[in-house]
Amino acid sequence: MDSTLKELTAKEYGEGFVTEVEEDFVPKGLDEDIIRLISARKGEPEWLLDFRLKAFRRWRGMKQPSWGHLTLPAIDYQDIVYWAAPKRDADRPKEIDPALMETFDKLGIPLRERKALAGVVAVDAVFDSVSVATTFRETLSEKGIIFCPFSEAVRDYPDLVKKYLASVVPVGDNYFAALNSAVFSDGTFCYIPRGVKCPMELSSYFRINASGTGQFERTLIVAEEGSSLSYMEGCTAPMRDEHQLHAAVVEIVVEKDADVRYSTVQNWYPGDAEGRGGILNLVTKRGLCRGEGSHLSWTQVETGSAVTWKYPSTVLQGNGSSSEFYSVALTNNFQQADTGTKMVHIGRGTRSRIVSKGISAGRSQNSYRGLVRINPGAEGARNYSQCDSLLIGSRCGAHTFPVIQNMGVASATVEHEATTSKISDDQLFYCLQRGIPPEEAVGLIVNGYAREVLQRLPMEFAVEARKLLQVSLEGAIG
Amino acid sequence: MKMKGIYLLGTDKLPSTVRIGEGEKVRTTLVALPGVAADVNLEVVLDGEGAELDIAGLYVCSGSDRLNLNVNVRHDRGGGISRQLFRGIAGGGSAVEFNGLVYVAPDAQKTKASQESRALLLSRGARVQAKPQLEIYADDVECSHGATVGFPDEEELFYMRSRGIPEEEARRLQMVSFLAPVLERLPQEFADRITEEL
Amino acid sequence: MKEKLLEIRNLCASADGHEILRGIDLEVGRGEVHAIMGPNGAGKSTLSAVLAGKPDYTVTDGSVGFGGKNLLEMTPEERSWAGLFLSFQYPVEIPGVSITNFMKAALSARRKAWGKPEMTPPEFLKLMKEKMAFVGMKPEFAKRDVNAGFSGGEKKRNEIFQMAMLSPVLSILDETDSGLDVDALRVVAEGVNSMRTPETSFVVITHYNRLLEYIVPDYVHILKEGRIVRTGGVELVAEIEKNGYAAL
Repeated sequence: MDSTLKELTAKEYGEGFVTEVEEDFVPKGLDEDIIRLISARKGEPEWLLDFRLKAFRRWRGMKQPSWGHLTLPAIDYQDIVYWAAPKRDADRPKEIDPALMETFDKLGIPLRERKALAGVVAVDAVFDSVSVATTFRETLSEKGIIFCPFSEAVRDYPDLVKKYLASVVPVGDNYFAALNSAVFSDGTFCYIPRGVKCPMELSSYFRINASGTGQFERTLIVAEEGSSLSYMEGCTAPMRDEHQLHAAVVEIVVEKDADVRYSTVQNWYPGDAEGRGGILNLVTKRGLCRGEGSHLSWTQVETGSAVTWKYPSTVLQGNGSSSEFYSVALTNNFQQADTGTKMVHIGRGTRSRIVSKGISAGRSQNSYRGLVRINPGAEGARNYSQCDSLLIGSRCGAHTFPVIQNMGVASATVEHEATTSKISDDQLFYCLQRGIPPEEAVGLIVNGYAREVLQRLPMEFAVEARKLLQVSLEGAIG
Repeated sequence: MKMKGIYLLGTDKLPSTVRIGEGEKVRTTLVALPGVAADVNLEVVLDGEGAELDIAGLYVCSGSDRLNLNVNVRHDRGGGISRQLFRGIAGGGSAVEFNGLVYVAPDAQKTKASQESRALLLSRGARVQAKPQLEIYADDVECSHGATVGFPDEEELFYMRSRGIPEEEARRLQMVSFLAPVLERLPQEFADRITEEL
Repeated sequence: MKEKLLEIRNLCASADGHEILRGIDLEVGRGEVHAIMGPNGAGKSTLSAVLAGKPDYTVTDGSVGFGGKNLLEMTPEERSWAGLFLSFQYPVEIPGVSITNFMKAALSARRKAWGKPEMTPPEFLKLMKEKMAFVGMKPEFAKRDVNAGFSGGEKKRNEIFQMAMLSPVLSILDETDSGLDVDALRVVAEGVNSMRTPETSFVVITHYNRLLEYIVPDYVHILKEGRIVRTGGVELVAEIEKNGYAAL
């Protein structure tokens, strides 16, 4: 088909602009003084500074992991600014800077509380290291739901934060989690009280703006017994020739019979067609299904970042708890993704399901990596995994690295299947004959391939995700 | 002969690397029986148009048996076909690890590779780990793998017992049926010996 | 003869270095139905694929005019927009893409190419409903994935449905009758017959005369070894039935 498809010029990354706004920075580099400075800027209590310093000391003794199927560019941790925030306008300390308002408007993120047709979504908007607006807080607080920037939670709900912080992802869990624990800036805190069904989608939007910085947000979600929540996150960054580091930690605690759905559309700047620049997305996300019958569902659409290293995982501790991981990861040009999940079955009768759809184009490398572990005592546990790879072009790679471990549970079953395929010339020609142009035809076929995952997304996200898959493939066929 | 038809793991010595050239075919079966303690590292390189590998393996592990089976199939050139089929049973306090890699080199187009590994875990003390891996650098290929770790179907067992087959015999039959796709490749006498000892 | 819609002159084409079409001459006027018959391997499917612009084939000589334009210079989708429709001998499965979405993409692309505004969702749904009823497809079909898990008859019916949706000026039916039972054959034929107008033309490619009992052609051409060896009226069909292709 190569000969008939005309070279499609790569579309510009639509969110690659820079907002001209004055920002405060801490000095470049990382040592205990910098950490003290960040903590002081945020007016944090002593216990949190201690937490950070311990994490930093831990991190210093650790090594950057190298087991991923990735070539990670060398990261100079002393050449990064760890905290950057837009300056507050002295005249209007309570209002949002119009430049930021405009930025989020342009990104399609409403910071005013207005009812959208598709339903109401509450947003916590994070710009570099700080949260600049969190909508619908009052409406939510009437139900007892706490939805606020992480820094405010530290100030207003210290007992909750102390109780749950690092309870799912311990400080020393891995190199990047330790780094995040030392320097984390803002992120979102959600607390859904017992029996409350959250009346609207909650979401966080992460925007990197300043150059030379990294973003290190921390999100903590607690769903008490019998509660339910659907949470979405999105992210974008300017186009730059330099790599920027994003090392976040997300922790989710799901109590008895609670239900949490966590959806991500990851659209960090992927770098240019020659592989220059792009975000290094090195993220730790984990949920603990602590209570009996609890449920956690991960859905992710990963199209951005130069490098993605990310394994949203679930520890199934409560008897009868269940979890799903639905993922579409698309890589083009020189992007690299090593992503997947871990499902650790501890409780009796726990269930998990993994559906992963990888799409590789250009010269990219795309890997699924997964672990399904059946611990002693997880009687009757079940897992089913389906991992498919789609290759577009002959210069990319698609890889599958699953691990299945059964630690002596003779009543558990684990099934894993994987296939590799390409878009067939026949499919493409069939679409062309019906008058569908090549780039649209590829988008259509890829969307069809990923449908099982896309249909899991909340409606607000699904449309965006479909477009993103199409745009991200521009230039992939030539 | 690139490889023998049958290797008894822990007893027969396997070549560490086997190269299959244009138009060559290799068919072999690996067998691990109770009492085994073995680390097996086999690399097979398919290095030409029409190269074909048909490999199967079965293991029956119990007691303190230990089996570490690493099979690395590399398609360095296109047009090759590889089929892998592994079935095994882990009981007692045995520990079984299966690592299978299918690698398809850049430009090794028209490769067909399949890998299936299934294990039955029979007891609380047994440990099974499976790592079926695909590493693919060419797009016009057909590759798949499937892996399961499970336990004997109770429904099936009940069905047999309701037909008057004693439980112990029914369990043995289940294992025979599970291993059958690999047993079929062995000489009748050898297959019988294995099934009698189950 | 009426105004020419399709003018094929000395068309030669090859695949993988093998010459398959060796100088085809064929004119199809507006409103006409032409049947192309021939033994296996005569080049019938190649002719339809070359006309639709399938990239596996290389045109080595000759010209094809379509509505006064040079067909061979157009991409497959441009040919579609210009009104050429190919009913595939083996319709392709596209998992995960519903018939509705597929038709939406096809229609909006051609309207964009024509400089026409997009159809509104109610207009589109009305058209879908109408054309599905026309070929006797149940409404549930709209939600099914394109050809995935369809029976042979369902696939061919889906082709005729798409033909009706896209209202082409020239429809090429490549062995649409192969593998069909009599009922499915009748549906296909009825679909074609009711779309026959003074403006629309059909090229029906078939190995057997079965379909031609239902769709009566104006002209019959016999294709053999990459050339048209005979042209006549329906009487040729009877002759083939009696004597076979070998006698020609």
